Amino acid sequence: MTTTHSPPEAAVPAPRAPGAVHDLGGAAIDLLIGGRELYSVFVRTLYYVVRGKRERGATVRQMFEIGNKSLFFVSITMGFIGMILVYQAGLQTRRVLPDFSQLGPTYLELLVRDLAASLGGLMLATRVGAGIAAEIGSMVVTEQVDALRMCAADPIDFLLVPRFLASMVMTTVLIVWAGVVAFIAAGATAYVAFDVPVQTFCNMSLVDWGDLTTGLAKCVAYGAAIPVVSGYCGLSTFGGSEGVGWATTRAVVNSSLAIIVLNAIISTAGLLVFGAK
Amino acid sequence: MAAPATSRWENVAASTGAAFIKMAETTGGMGVLFGQILSRVFAFPPRFDYPELKRNLHKMAVKSLPIVVVTALFTGAIMVIQAAPLVKRVGAEGLLGWGAGFGTLREVAPLLTALMISGRVGANNTAELGTMVVTEQIDALRALAIDPIAFLIVPRFVGIVVTLFVMTLYADALALFGAAWTGLGLLQVEPRTFYNGLTGGQLFFSDVADGLVKSVVFGLVIALASCHFGLSTKGGAPGVGRSVNATVVASAAGVFVLDYLVSFLLG
Repeated sequence: MTTTHSPPEAAVPAPRAPGAVHDLGGAAIDLLIGGRELYSVFVRTLYYVVRGKRERGATVRQMFEIGNKSLFFVSITMGFIGMILVYQAGLQTRRVLPDFSQLGPTYLELLVRDLAASLGGLMLATRVGAGIAAEIGSMVVTEQVDALRMCAADPIDFLLVPRFLASMVMTTVLIVWAGVVAFIAAGATAYVAFDVPVQTFCNMSLVDWGDLTTGLAKCVAYGAAIPVVSGYCGLSTFGGSEGVGWATTRAVVNSSLAIIVLNAIISTAGLLVFGAK
Repeated sequence: MAAPATSRWENVAASTGAAFIKMAETTGGMGVLFGQILSRVFAFPPRFDYPELKRNLHKMAVKSLPIVVVTALFTGAIMVIQAAPLVKRVGAEGLLGWGAGFGTLREVAPLLTALMISGRVGANNTAELGTMVVTEQIDALRALAIDPIAFLIVPRFVGIVVTLFVMTLYADALALFGAAWTGLGLLQVEPRTFYNGLTGGQLFFSDVADGLVKSVVFGLVIALASCHFGLSTKGGAPGVGRSVNATVVASAAGVFVLDYLVSFLLG
């Protein structure tokens, strides 16, 4: 009745097409919900690390899966990154002042404080994060996770905690290894391309406890962030094979973003705590 | 007693050989795919689906903008945070813009943008193509006499390469913006000083161009890897997951190796 008799000017204005504000609000709400669920996954992981009943051997198996199987990939990429960085830095140095004696110490300091952890962490986010999300996502899609719930086993306790523990240990180990590889590759490049003697390059005078602490804090933070973020992406998979692909994509992107943001936070904190020398 | 020892070494040899054959297979597959793509792009008239290209460019480039913006701003900030002790030690505030600019434009912005785009676009593209393969949509295209390379692959390939190039341009600008404001907040270096250091004569257009050349090379690798692994998906939903995993690993390794080669060639 009201629809037929209402004069045109009193008619309810047609709903406008959702505009930019609508999109922005939607994105913000999604971000908030995602953040809350991520937080809940993180807290439950920590709870089960302390209280959970553990399957024997699961953590060791994951350590092999995360650590040993990434070794080749991490060595290759970090070796090349070491070569590139010193090559670029050398070019830059040659342009300003032809003194290569500070090349090694400065590079080593940067490597310990940031580059080994952050670039290695990004590589691991790609390799390990994609692996975890693809595996757990496939389990969700093929209803294995529901089967776990039916057996009264929390998927976080059963699937995520072993990966979390394994990643905490193996990320640190791999990043230390990545730093060693990057430094050796860099030393060789400096020797071949710019004739820097190895004794001059291997100079640890600029590395101090502050750098080491910052670097190790990053290792631990990334090791915790990668499995939690990608496990969350894997567990929230829905919708067949396309869903698994989406979950893997989201895992890679979100763990990489998490690493970049954590890096900015920890680097700032390190700079404020240990100060500039 | 000798038998297990031999068989163990045989196993090592066999797995090493298998790994090499697999690598060669992947490289060869990507090469063949590249040839097929080029033969469609450089045919006269070019044979590819224009609406599909537009759709893919929107999906890949416009939708990746937020993540590129966030990455670039934080990257610029990190560059300055890492340079801070050095700058304070030497007391060379004027050099901050030059140092951050050189590293960002030549190396960090193209590299990190490539990693993010490979994660977001490359992986997503593999997932999409893999799903099409698994659900036999590609076979359906062939049955309708539609060339899947011209219809699906070329638009995605061109889309990824163009996306990465444009996103690197954005990332260059935004990373320098982030670096300038971090310099003000953390080191009390005025953005004007930063800008002067950037344009003061130590940085040339070739530094920017190097980064952009790299971004095109990275785009080629990411596009080839993601299309190749997508098309060679086997075995249902877990297979799609494995393909995506293989894509991101191959893209990252390819990007780093080529980064070195391109730096060396351009340097």
